[in-house]
Formats: sequence, C-alpha cells, structure tokens
Amino acid sequence: MVRFKSRYLLCEVCVPDRSSLQLLEDRTIYNTLRAAVNRAHGDYGSALFNIGVIVKYLNAHTGVVLIRSRKKHYRLIWSALSFITCLENRGQKVQCFLNCLHVGGTIRTCQKFLVKYNRQQLHRMLPACKTDAEKQEVRRAILSCSLSNVREEEADEDGSDDDGDEET
Amino acid sequence: MTGAKDRMREKKMKNQPRNVIYTSSGRGTGRGQGSQACGWVRGHQHGGHSYSQDLPKYITASSFAKARAAEVNAMLKAVSKPAGSCHIFTALPKHMRRRALSHSTKRLPSRLREGAQRLAERSQRAPEKEKKQEPRSRSRRARRRHGNLLLEFNRRQRKNKWLETHIWHAKRFHMLKTWSYCLPLKPTAKSFRASYRAMNTHALLQVTLAYMCFMFVIFSEKSVTYLHLLYKADQFPEGSLGPADFLWRPRVPDASDRQLWIWIHPALKQDVLSELQLVCQCFEAVSVSEESRPAVELPAGRKRKRDEADAEQPSKRLLGDGTRPAGAPVRWQSPDTAITISDLTMEIVRYRLIGPLAHVVLTDTLQPASEEPRSRSTDEAGVSVHQQQTDIFHLLRGVCSTAELPAGCVLGLTVDDPRLTLPQKRGKSVPDLQQSAEDSGVRDLTLKGVAAHCSQSALWDASARDCVTHNRLSEQELNRRRTELLVPGSRLSAAPQAAVPLLLVHQGGRVRGEERLHWGSGWDLLLPKGWGMAFWVPLVYRGVRVGGLHMSVKHSQFMGQPHFPHDYPDCPAGVRFQSEQEAELLQKFKRRPPSKRTNYIKHGCLAPFRCPWQQLTEEWEELVNLSAETTGGCRTGPFTVLRSLKALRRLSAWSRPSSRRSSSALTHATAAALQQECGPSLVWVRLRLLGKGQPALHAMVCVPTTSDLQLLLKDAHSSGPEEPRHKDHLKRLRQNTTGPEDPARAVRGVCPAPLPSVLPHCSRLTLGWVTQGDFSLAAGCGEALAFISVSGLLHTILQQPQEQRGLILLRNPSSLQYRFARISIDV
Repeated sequence: MVRFKSRYLLCEVCVPDRSSLQLLEDRTIYNTLRAAVNRAHGDYGSALFNIGVIVKYLNAHTGVVLIRSRKKHYRLIWSALSFITCLENRGQKVQCFLNCLHVGGTIRTCQKFLVKYNRQQLHRMLPACKTDAEKQEVRRAILSCSLSNVREEEADEDGSDDDGDEET
Repeated sequence: MTGAKDRMREKKMKNQPRNVIYTSSGRGTGRGQGSQACGWVRGHQHGGHSYSQDLPKYITASSFAKARAAEVNAMLKAVSKPAGSCHIFTALPKHMRRRALSHSTKRLPSRLREGAQRLAERSQRAPEKEKKQEPRSRSRRARRRHGNLLLEFNRRQRKNKWLETHIWHAKRFHMLKTWSYCLPLKPTAKSFRASYRAMNTHALLQVTLAYMCFMFVIFSEKSVTYLHLLYKADQFPEGSLGPADFLWRPRVPDASDRQLWIWIHPALKQDVLSELQLVCQCFEAVSVSEESRPAVELPAGRKRKRDEADAEQPSKRLLGDGTRPAGAPVRWQSPDTAITISDLTMEIVRYRLIGPLAHVVLTDTLQPASEEPRSRSTDEAGVSVHQQQTDIFHLLRGVCSTAELPAGCVLGLTVDDPRLTLPQKRGKSVPDLQQSAEDSGVRDLTLKGVAAHCSQSALWDASARDCVTHNRLSEQELNRRRTELLVPGSRLSAAPQAAVPLLLVHQGGRVRGEERLHWGSGWDLLLPKGWGMAFWVPLVYRGVRVGGLHMSVKHSQFMGQPHFPHDYPDCPAGVRFQSEQEAELLQKFKRRPPSKRTNYIKHGCLAPFRCPWQQLTEEWEELVNLSAETTGGCRTGPFTVLRSLKALRRLSAWSRPSSRRSSSALTHATAAALQQECGPSLVWVRLRLLGKGQPALHAMVCVPTTSDLQLLLKDAHSSGPEEPRHKDHLKRLRQNTTGPEDPARAVRGVCPAPLPSVLPHCSRLTLGWVTQGDFSLAAGCGEALAFISVSGLLHTILQQPQEQRGLILLRNPSSLQYRFARISIDV
C-alpha cells in the first residue's frame, strides 16, 4: 500500500509594520504563492502547484502560515517562497517576506514545533519589553501556555467530556 | 459529500485549530480544519481586546504576546488529543500502535479487541441513527418469502396501480404502464385472429380498462333537473372533455335521493373532477362516509330504461371533476344544492364480456343465491325482487345471441361465490337451445328488456359492498373446505353472508351505420371490490378468450366507434395522448439505423407521427374562402370535432354516390350554410378501400383529381395514381455541414418542426389523416377510420360527379401509391 507523503512548510510572514498584517487571508497567500511559482518555474511549476499545494492554516495575528505540498515537489515550492516580495489583498499591497521556519512531514510535527517556537519567542520578548504593564502581560501569557495548565485542561476534558474552556 | 462523512470528519478534527484571520465583522473562521477551537475564542474575549469593527492601528507587544500564547494553547490541544481516538489507542504503547488499527480491529491484542469493536460500532452508528429511520432492506431471499410478498407488491404499486387480476395478467400478457395503471396490453401468445373469432362467434373477456375511474353523485330530488341541464354542456361544441358512461340507480320507494355513477377514462380524471366540482359547487370535503339512501320510486319502468339507454351511450360532453390522488374515497358536499360527489376509483370491479355467447358464459358461471340474504323490498305481487331477478336470469339462457337484447338494460343480481362451482377442467360453454320452449318469456325479454325494479342491487350501498368484501372466503379457506368434503368434487355449500351483489349491464354493439349492426355487443359485470379474482377464474374456465388494451382498440375499430384517447383529438386528454404517441413513435424511428429508416421527406409525408389538425382546418378554411370569395370571415378558432347528429346525417347523405332525395340536395349554398354552421371542424369518417391496400397509422386522405376519377371509370380495378418522389432538401444541408450537427434540430428523414403548408405539399390536396387503419377481418378489405376536415369534404364532394361521390385517395406514409377508397359517415 503506497501512501501519499506530504511536506508541510511552516512559514512566518515578516512585515516591517505589524498592523498591516491584518488583512491576511489564506486565499491571498495562495494566489501570491502561485504567481511566484509561475514566475520562478514556469508552466511546470504551475502544474505542480495545482496538484498538491494548499494553505492549511493561517494565523493573521502572528503571521504563521502552514502550507502543504507533495513530498516530491516541496523544494520547488520552498524555493519560490523567497521570491515573494509583497502580498496583495483587495488592492492593498503589503511589503513582506515569507520566512520558512520548519518543514515537517505531518501537521502534528509542525504544530509541535510551533509550540516550541512560540514559547521561545515569548521568552525572548520578556526582556525586550519596555513598560511594566507589558511585562506583566507577557508574563501572564507565558504562564498561560505553560505545560501545567495544559495538563489540567486535559484531565478536565477527559473526565467531563466537555469543551473545557474553564481555564484560559 | 454526505452528511455522515462530514460529521465523521468534524468529529475527528474537532481539536484542530481553525484559521485565524481578521474580518470586519469580528470573529472570522476560515476554511480550516474542524469545528471550534474553543480555548482560542475564550482567550481573546477574556483578554478584553475585541476585534470588532475597526482594526487596531497598533499592535502592541502585549497583544502579540497574547496571540502567541493563544496559538500555543491551540496547538497543544491539537497535538495532545489525537483525532477520533478512544482510550484503546492511547492504551497501547507507542511502539505497538499501527496505522491499520483504525480500520481493522483484528490488529489489536485480544484484551482490547472487544472494546475497540464496540467503540467502532458506536461511532459508526451514532451519525447513522439520525439519518436512517427505515430498516435496512433485507436480502432478496428474505424479501421474496411468501409472507413478505405483499409488502413487495405494495411497494411496486406506488407508482402504477395494479388491477385485481394483475398477477394473472402479468403471467400471460405484455403489460403497459400508462395513466398511472399497469394494464395488460396484449397476450404473449399470438392470438389476434383467435380473439377476433371469439368476438365474432363466442365470447371475449376483458377487464374494462377504459372506464375505471368512477364518480358517484348523490343528490336530492329537487336538484335533478339542475344536473340534467349541466350535461347539456357548457361550451358546446368546443369544450369537450371526453366520453363517459352514466349509470342511474333505480328509484326505490321511501327514499329521497338519487345516485349516479359516472364512469370515465383514467386519463380524464384530472380534468373531470375539477369541472364537476366547479359546476356542482361541491368544494367541501367530507371525510365521514355517509350512508347512502336509496332513491325515490319511479312509477313507469319505461322511463328508467330510457334513462339507461340514453345514459349508456357514451356522452361526448363531460363536465368532469378532477380526481384525487387515488386511494380512499373522498366525498365532497355542496351546502346549497345537496349534491355529494365521491370518488370511488377501484371500488367496483368491472369486467366486459363481448360476443354473441356472452350471456351463455354468464349463465354458466353465475348461480343466483339460493337463500335470500336480506329480504329486500317486494313489489305489488308479493314476489320478492330477488326471485324476479332470478327468473329473468334463467330466461337469459334461452336468448340466442347477446345482440338480441335491447341495449342498455341492467339486471341486478345476487349470486353465490362462483368459485364453489368451479369446474375441474376448462371447457367451452355452449348455448342451450332447448330452453327456447319458454318462448313468451324470452320474447318479452328481448323486446322489452329488463323491468325497472329488477335493476336494483345491493351494490349501490357502500355498506353492503364493504360487508361483502369483508366476508369473502380466502382461497386457503376454500381449499381447506374442499379437502374436508365427503365426496370429492361435489359442490361446496355456500355461506349465506357471502352472497355477492352484482350488476349486469348490457352493452350495445355497433349501432351506427348500416352494416353488421349489433356486432360486438356484450355484458358488463360489475362486482364489489375484492371479488375480482374470484369471478375471473371461473369465467376463464368457461372458455372465454381474454383480451387486452390492444383488443379493445380493435373492438372499437370494428364497431366503428372512436376509442377514447386515440380518436378524440379535441379533448385535452386526447391531445396529451397524441403527444405521448408522437414521442414514442419518434423514439422508435430514431432507434433504427439512419440508412434503414423510411425517409418521410422523400415520401412527401409531413406528419408521420403527429397530425397537425389545427393547421389543417385553418388551411382548409382559407382555401375555401378564397375559392368562394365570400366575405364571411373564416373562423379561426380551435378546431372541434363535428358531433351534432343533424349535420352528420346531412353529410352522410351527401357523401353517398347517388341519392335521388331532393331534400337537402347538395348545392353550393347548402354546403356553405353547413360550413358556416360548423366552423372549423373535423368529422369522423370510415374509409373502405375499393381494391388492394392496407391503410396504416397516419395515412393521408387526399382529394382525387378529375383525371383520377376518370381513370377509375375506365378501369374499375386500377390501382390509382402515384406520387412523384419529393426532394430531400435537408440532405444537402447535411452534406454541407460535415461537423456533428445538433441532433435535436433535425432527425434525418423527418420534416423539421415548423411544418410547411400542409395542403398543397403533395400532388393531391390533403383532407385529413387516418387514426386507425388496418385490414378489417370483418369486411375483408382494408378499412380505416379517419378525421377529415369538414370544409375540405364539402369542397371535394361538390366537385365530384353524382355517381362517384365520396371517393377519395388514401396514401400510407411510407409509400408513394395512392389507393381509392370510399367514405362513409356512420350515423
């Protein structure tokens, strides 16, 4: 039995101005990526793009994008990522570049990596905070996503089979 | 994707986070994976930062941190909770988990296997429970077991209703599904000539398929006249709906209501019911069934029979009431006129026996009830009605032929179950000529018919019918009693409650025209519901031949009467039938390979499948007006079929060769007068070929030129002129366009849709088309029944010399040879 193997590219959209991220949509990324692949690799590239590429997850607040592609052609897609200079959404152009953080074989591995990465970022943000209020916020955020919290949630969920949003 | 699949997927993906984007309306959920990421939602709301209308200009570090944290949480949740997992999968250590576990539980160690199976079943069943309420269909074998067959039959009957004798017919006949019934078309054995012989000399049996739907009207005394007026027709002569049979219940003393049964063709049902409802103003549906009270007494027996006789002739005008979607009877009541209409489709079974020995078959099969079930009203002499009916019934045997009795007489009877006297072997019933000793009684019967009070029957009472249907012995019961008989083969004793009330209605045969009068007369047997098979099998055992729809069409054809949907082009049901027939014929035509089809264009036949009557009448009107140069405007309404007796008699007299009658002699003036009177109309004629030839469906009836008539004078056996071959103009088009042509546009060999002018297309003017044509076994030559435009006919007759009046040409659509034929209009 032959499996379809895929590769998931975890990318981050880096913009100079954070606020311009807001209009991000998965369709935007998809179309921009397709144009880039077409420019870089021509018809062959667009055909390959058509088959297996899809934007699986997008977080507009943090700029995290998860792109899935076939295992055979992920390098092609990856190479086209660096040619993206701007994202266009409803007439507004946003200057950016896509930074690939991680390549995983499954969504789960990418999610695990993302957890680690976010935690690292939070830890790095803490000393860089200027005001005290900010520091408090960041500390609270770090605490909120600590492992103990999550384990409590798990226990609750298993027991009551509920949505488990008491703790946040 | 079905709902089940979606649900399964949602269940699996409920832990996966969705896309998080900004939308102007707040929380946005993109096309992501799965349902809610709940922690995510709450986290942000608690953060107090609502992403409502305006997007924030600055994103501070705190919010960014929050976003990150929330994302982390979502990811953790997604990661730590495997999709669609039960504790089975987490119970196994990682090195023992296999990919195939999710779909085959055999890969698990045995201690976990049952749990996994249970879980798998539960997860399979959960979404299905809400979806499928019906039980899973059983295996074919289970469905076909004898006890479950009834369910199967009911399921099959949902679309097309079955007759009571369906199974018997299905084994021996080709069936046809039309008019929401499944009807026998013709026998699987070759039996056309045998059936004809049966109709001619012995007896033919049919389930009366034409008249199955059934209306029932009760009304009180005062509104009798009202209803009669209605039958004079609203929109004569244009609004015809179709023929119907009326049956009046005989008046019984101490009753105030009369009842009327109307039998119509199932194709008419829809039109008819709404009309009747409109006319009688019966709109309220009453669901409680009322007791029907018998009617007021009628003094003279004559009137009753005349009513019958008038009513039995199929009336061409019917104000119909629509029909309901079948099933239980429903009554409508009108508050002011006290008329109630109820729909009693399939409540009464009606069999038709055609042929001169039909009455012999009946007297063989039916035995009047030995004891009287309930003593009914007696007449003046004190003799009970039942006794009188029995006497008349016995007299029937002495009659030589069914045709001797006056048409339209009705005999009510109560008989025993005919299955009790079922013969061991099939035989043929022969007439008993010894009984002509009772000459006076028999002669009375043939001259006067049946007396009024003898037409009563308990069949009219709904309660009596239900009772009888209920008390019917099943076949199983009957067979059991037969085994218990002391002397095998003797007659079974009858149960007193199971005396079946019947009505025997005499149907006149051919009444119009001058040849073979009374051919095709017969008896109609009316039975209550549920007794169909019980009477059918004994009748068949007496040696009748059974016919189907095909035979009933031929029967009407030999009798020279129009058969309901085929020969009524002006009724809405007839129009529908014609379009259906056209579609069928066109399909058949298309099925043949293109080079083996008849090229109707080359044969000059414009309408091989459907006759454009409207166009024909209009063109004739134009032509006649042009030639006569009258300023009387040609009437271009919808065409009608000429049915008024007076006009038909005149036309009939004029189309005969030499009539020395001076009354209503044919001149231009009288012809013009008749034409004005009738308007654009068609007339139903019978054509008989003079020599060779066999007319086919939609053969063209054409006007002979003077040279043709002279040809006939010179040589009485000449075969007639020939039509020169036409050119197929579409062929050139086909050759030019080499690409694939639009198949809907042109069928090769048939004229495309907007037909050119019909009249002058061929070398002889077209008068009309044949609707039923065949070699007539009765006449010994080809005969056809056709519709002809009245103006065309008059135009033709005027131009023909006296001795040769009424000669026309007939040409089949697939031939170029014209044949001479003679018109006769039967009145």
